[in-house]
Amino acid sequence: MKAAPFAYRAPETLDEALSLLAAGDGARVLAGGQSLVPLLKARVVKPTLVVDVNRVPGLAAIEVDGDGALRIGALTRQQKLLDSDAAAAAQPLLREAGRYAGFLATRHRGTVGGSLAYAAPWAELTAAAVALDARLEIRSAGGERTVPARSFFQGPHETVLEPDELLTVVHVPAAAPRTGVGFHEVSARYRDFANVAAAATITLDEAGACTAAELVLLRVAATPHRVDVSHLVGAPFDGAAARAALVDALAGLDPAGDIEASGTYRRRVAVTLALRALQDANAKAGATR
Amino acid sequence: MTDRLEIRVEVNGTWREGRVEPRLTLADFLREDLDLTGTHVACENGFCGNCNVLVDGESVRACLMFAVQADGRLLLTVEGLAEPDGTLGRLQQAFHDNHGLQCGFCTPAMLVTAHEYLEANPGGGSDEEIRDAISGVLCRCTGYQHIVDSIRAAAEEAA
Repeated sequence: MKAAPFAYRAPETLDEALSLLAAGDGARVLAGGQSLVPLLKARVVKPTLVVDVNRVPGLAAIEVDGDGALRIGALTRQQKLLDSDAAAAAQPLLREAGRYAGFLATRHRGTVGGSLAYAAPWAELTAAAVALDARLEIRSAGGERTVPARSFFQGPHETVLEPDELLTVVHVPAAAPRTGVGFHEVSARYRDFANVAAAATITLDEAGACTAAELVLLRVAATPHRVDVSHLVGAPFDGAAARAALVDALAGLDPAGDIEASGTYRRRVAVTLALRALQDANAKAGATR
Repeated sequence: MTDRLEIRVEVNGTWREGRVEPRLTLADFLREDLDLTGTHVACENGFCGNCNVLVDGESVRACLMFAVQADGRLLLTVEGLAEPDGTLGRLQQAFHDNHGLQCGFCTPAMLVTAHEYLEANPGGGSDEEIRDAISGVLCRCTGYQHIVDSIRAAAEEAA
């Protein structure tokens, strides 16, 4: 199917982009197009105006500040993030999750901000953003605000972004010392849409006891789902205990089923993927001691 | 109907011009406006990869990019892989020699994708790397083995 007609503007400045969005009347932001274009073609969205932000300067850089925190421009291509040794060093989960996010040809166009803003339920970078407690810088003609990734996602393809707002920067805090990460998913083929995915981080103290842990699952709930794994803190990682706790933690979830996987399958396989992600995170954290 | 926009793209070494509606995809522009029907369109949603072309040397889904976004860019399509006299290029010949196609529908995208891969990995790399490189392009006939063989053969011939 072909997209319905729309007017097209490709502003050269951020202010111009924001004022086009502020003019309202059903404008949509086009960045990499890997989420928006299929929605346009299916006519799920029918904007009168498409604002192509690819020519807006200054939105595509990856910077590391003195504390090791990352500032990732929303227009950063997913492949550029994957290739960035600085980003991987500052926060290894970005590469670990990012390598599952689409194919070379989609990552060349697809942007980090677009993946978050379009919030597809299978988008690996949404899980990473929630696990890492990323902060999302959002601009509009009227001002700016920063929203934690943990309160950004509202449902499948739904976020707190208003129609006149543009996600401009993703701030990711530096990984604490002795932190390991893990990411596992099941999909039809490697790098294809996640049917279920798990992102984990574990931080150990010098004696090998866990001091912090995060676990985020995709496709077991309407948004990237943060599982409380605080019971892991205070002791060395115990796989059997972790598995039992995961079974309990996920028992109350009722994941949506679809042609790719039933809800029951998603809940069951999520336990295994979560355990693998936690085990990987623990092993890598231990290796850095 | 929205206004048509003037664009200019360099396709396989030749500058071409067009007047396009913003909603026209790059794939449709290549096929319908420039008559470069080597680029094939299957799912039109980015899943299958059959419309892969190179933009400024990087593979993209031509069905997920609008033609207006290619304005001023350098494009390579499968037609650009042939020799100037129209005979098969080395990679194309390797696909021919190694039965790297059956129905041929995915072949243009496989060739363009393999070309990009071999530019970055002239030695050919491992079979696993070749398989990863083409994993974003779906072929429904070959089982991929002969495609992998073809890419390896092209790399070895170049060595």
